[in-house]
Amino acid sequence: MSLPLGLEVGTLLLKWHLQNTKIIKPSDSRLATQNSGPTSMSIESLDPRVTRLQIEPEPNPLPKPALDQLITFEVFHQKKEGLPFTYVGPVHAADEEIAFLFAKEQYSRRAMCSGMWIASTEHVFVSGYADDSTSVYDTMPSVYVTPEGPEQSYEIFHLKKRGKAHQHVCTVTARSSEHALEVARQTLNPAPPVVSVWIIPSIHVLRQEEDRDMWATTPEKKYREAIAYRVQDKIDRFKAEQKA
Amino acid sequence: MLENAIKDLLYKIADDQLILGHRNSEWTGFGPMLEEDIAFSSMAQDKLGHSLAFYTLLHQMGEGDPDTVAFMRNADQFHNSQLVELPIGEYDFSLIRHFLYDNAEILRFESLSQSTNEEIAKIATKLKGEVRYHVLHANTLVKQLGSATQESISRLQQSLEYALPFALGIFEPSKHEQELIDAGIYSGEAALQNQWLERISAVLEKTHLKLPEIANLQPVYGGRYGQHTEHLQPLLDEMAEVFKIDPTAEW
Repeated sequence: MSLPLGLEVGTLLLKWHLQNTKIIKPSDSRLATQNSGPTSMSIESLDPRVTRLQIEPEPNPLPKPALDQLITFEVFHQKKEGLPFTYVGPVHAADEEIAFLFAKEQYSRRAMCSGMWIASTEHVFVSGYADDSTSVYDTMPSVYVTPEGPEQSYEIFHLKKRGKAHQHVCTVTARSSEHALEVARQTLNPAPPVVSVWIIPSIHVLRQEEDRDMWATTPEKKYREAIAYRVQDKIDRFKAEQKA
Repeated sequence: MLENAIKDLLYKIADDQLILGHRNSEWTGFGPMLEEDIAFSSMAQDKLGHSLAFYTLLHQMGEGDPDTVAFMRNADQFHNSQLVELPIGEYDFSLIRHFLYDNAEILRFESLSQSTNEEIAKIATKLKGEVRYHVLHANTLVKQLGSATQESISRLQQSLEYALPFALGIFEPSKHEQELIDAGIYSGEAALQNQWLERISAVLEKTHLKLPEIANLQPVYGGRYGQHTEHLQPLLDEMAEVFKIDPTAEW
């Protein structure tokens, strides 16, 4: 069946349609004549589903307050059992359970995945950035004055190159995020480059790796990628036929 | 004639998945938020994939090829429950339907994964991880929205009351019920319905939603044997529109 591809392509088309949706007003003579004069004001879209709804446009939509969306969560995935968890991107969600629901489909519906970690953005401590050839640990001031909190464990993530993604390197025990950075430097003593370090308290990382069944079919989702549909032969044949 | 009984079972499973998959894909681009739009569309696609797996098995048993079976039948030849053909309505209805359907689906897959029919057991075992996610998705959102605001609670409650008689139609007894149970193909509709009630009750108890008294409801049967609402045929016409322009086209 060709349905799966159709659906993915449909999503793209629809997004494009929505961007190209026009509001037709009877008073706008240019549009009205082009569209044989609609009698009432409603949103007309290239997507018939939108036009059918006969939605009246809001006259003066109220300006939305800044940052009124749900909070964001950062998502790390594991491509295969045994590989380190790697940053894939953020999702908006009401809480971390829902963040996982969204992250799972957002970031693993097309690629292999065997587990995910989710952390609220506010819990991610971000170091400064260093150049691609240096290590952010070497540019750190040598002494950190840190608030002494209770000892807890922290997850350490390194970015090895700009444009790549942060990857989990180890877990350390420390009294604060800054302290964890210092502990990581001492225990790992990593060779450059380390462009940037992220640190997240382990208790704030939601781990979804145990339910093996849930990830079982991810290697078979290739049909969701355009590349799985080998059509070039058919296009070439069609072009040749047209020429002949 | 165990083979006929098995075909009857496979058709109703595959048709449910195809029709609900198509219905839920109607949310693509209209989801309540971007992330949910993607998740809902992705699950719809899973459903189409599941229907393909079962149509393929039917094809191996001598039925038509999956595309023909999916696109060339009329409404009265479909075995889906009426629940899945209802229009998507507003998001509260689609969420409740997803909750009621997938909690039934996971039990069916769990039962089928123990089937004496190896082919069926293999497919059910392979795909049940995806259904597991669908259930987690439905349960998590119902728990969240079922105890969020007055509006979300009353919308879900209304949809629950509307959808429940249709959902009971998922478990419409088959003509071959006893034969399938005796042969160890699966545990049968009555057993599934009882387990299902336990599962959905356990989720609803954690919310402000109330499960209506099941004994007082009249289940909506008929879908399993070709009786459908007026909503199914237009869905089929739209779904098959492109395919029917040239059924022999290679995709």
